[in-house]
Amino acid sequence: MFDQLVAKLPVGICVVDEQYRLQYLNAFFLDRMRPDQRHNYLQQPLISIFPEQAKFLTRRIKSVFVLQHPSFSYWEQRAHIFPFKSSRPITGEETQMYQNMEIVPISGPSSEQKLACIILQDVTAQASYLMAQQELASALKQEHTAQRKLIKKLDSAQSQLIQAEKMASTGQLAAGIAHEINNPIGFVTANLATLKDYSEQLLNLCDALADKLQVTSPSLAQFSAQTMDTYHYELLKEDISPLVDESCEGLNRVRDIVENLKQFALEESTGWQLFNLHETTQQLVKLVGAQYKAPVYKVSCNPPNLQIFCEPASIKQALTNILINAAQSIKCKGFVKIDIRATAQRVSIKVIDSGVGISAENIKKIFDPFFTTKPEGMGQGLGLSVAYTAIEKHKGKIIANSNPGRGTVVEILVPVVHPEQRHECAEPLGGS
Amino acid sequence: MSTESVLTADQRDALQELMNISMGQAANSLAHLIETKIGISIPKIASVTPEQLFSMISEQADAYYTRQSFLGDIQGEVMSVVSQQGLCEVGALLEYDAPLSQTDIQEIILELSNILAGACLAGLSAQLALGTNLNMPTLFSPRKANFEEFQWSNSLVMEVQFDIEISSFSMRVVFCLDDASLDRLTQTLDELLG
Repeated sequence: MFDQLVAKLPVGICVVDEQYRLQYLNAFFLDRMRPDQRHNYLQQPLISIFPEQAKFLTRRIKSVFVLQHPSFSYWEQRAHIFPFKSSRPITGEETQMYQNMEIVPISGPSSEQKLACIILQDVTAQASYLMAQQELASALKQEHTAQRKLIKKLDSAQSQLIQAEKMASTGQLAAGIAHEINNPIGFVTANLATLKDYSEQLLNLCDALADKLQVTSPSLAQFSAQTMDTYHYELLKEDISPLVDESCEGLNRVRDIVENLKQFALEESTGWQLFNLHETTQQLVKLVGAQYKAPVYKVSCNPPNLQIFCEPASIKQALTNILINAAQSIKCKGFVKIDIRATAQRVSIKVIDSGVGISAENIKKIFDPFFTTKPEGMGQGLGLSVAYTAIEKHKGKIIANSNPGRGTVVEILVPVVHPEQRHECAEPLGGS
Repeated sequence: MSTESVLTADQRDALQELMNISMGQAANSLAHLIETKIGISIPKIASVTPEQLFSMISEQADAYYTRQSFLGDIQGEVMSVVSQQGLCEVGALLEYDAPLSQTDIQEIILELSNILAGACLAGLSAQLALGTNLNMPTLFSPRKANFEEFQWSNSLVMEVQFDIEISSFSMRVVFCLDDASLDRLTQTLDELLG
């Protein structure tokens, strides 16, 4: 009865003697062996029939004989000890059987005879379930990482958006103020011109009166000369015209600045269009120069009045941010030079300054959002990151090189785009 | 950590002596199997709380851990602390090809734990004429297990350290007994002491 029981057990039973020769195999083993091996396995060396893991099996069986203590092996570390097929050859997914093995010491019919019994369990189902779970877990983990990255990207995009919106509303505000300033400047300028005429006429009148008195009444002439002296007439006459002229010049300058600001801010160019890079850069320099007076500015453009096809708003934004950074890097004396060159393929805009420069460690991070070396509250660290995004939108590159203490060069490279290629660069604006 | 509450001085001495003998046998078996000299420390016997057990087995940095339960006349668990240092040399002694893969390392740790814990337990059981059966070992990470939630407050532990001479490798085997087994053990010790 026990023979039948052992033969029918759903686990593999294999018994070897101290020379590793087979003494018994149950049906679990026999069913999975080649037909020619099934009948004369007795007394055959185990490893001649199962040579696949000979070294491992020999060592483990030896350990059992020496220590008289069970030995274990798991599918996680060693999946296939015996070359058996999966228990479900038709519907199963695993082709090879995953096995847990236990070798236990037993004794033969005569109790001196030492034997080792290999007990083999088919754990394919468990193993494939566990492996599927692990795969699932790793897929989930990957997805999770990807999502985190996306969230981070989204965060930085959002802050750039906020910044851009701030800039836009600042621009609109500036345009509004510029418009308001224009009206008083208009009448002040007109009045000042009239005032200049009036003052000249007044002076002429005084001179004419004095001349006439000299001739007609010497006593009155003396009185008039005394009175003129009392009110410093000569000084007034000398000073009044340069004063008025200087004021007119000052007003002209204010008008220029306001005009530039208006042009710059009011441009509602959200789409792609031809744009005069040279002229805009000059306007920009005037604007930035009004705020940062330390450096000397110079703009060169080859060819002059270069027109490029781009999205003007973002290019202007990028240029402004780079230019402001260059201007801020100069503490008391120095220059900021903008060098624009165009070839048939691409446009290069170099912004060169003789400022404090950027350390090698920092230069790697200058295009990262929120990176700033300014004291807290003085800058958000978004300027160059916004510039970077703008240039990227034009499929261009932006490169910064710096020599700390001597200056920095930021170069923008954008490919030349022709208006007929616009659909490749910008989003389609509708059916053609 | 004290033993007064659980074992009398005589019982303690007797157990210590039995441990000495059985551990020596275990070391001999292993030495025979891997053909190298093995040193053993004097066994330590103590009664510990779960926290003490945790600090006992996790005091060593860079270690692998396994656990294995045993059933029979006395029941409990064996935890093994295997040093990461010197494992390559041991791998070579066990005829593994260098470099060791992650699964090779796991297999070596499990096999070493099984051999040593098995030999110790078999020796001790034989000395005390008690029947025990050791179950398969599994990898274990004490930092992930919640020692504070263990269902016992005090346990008798027996600890022994093995060193392999040719390398910096060392391994500690810690036996923990449950309460019923402790009674059975003291009873057996008393019988031996006469």
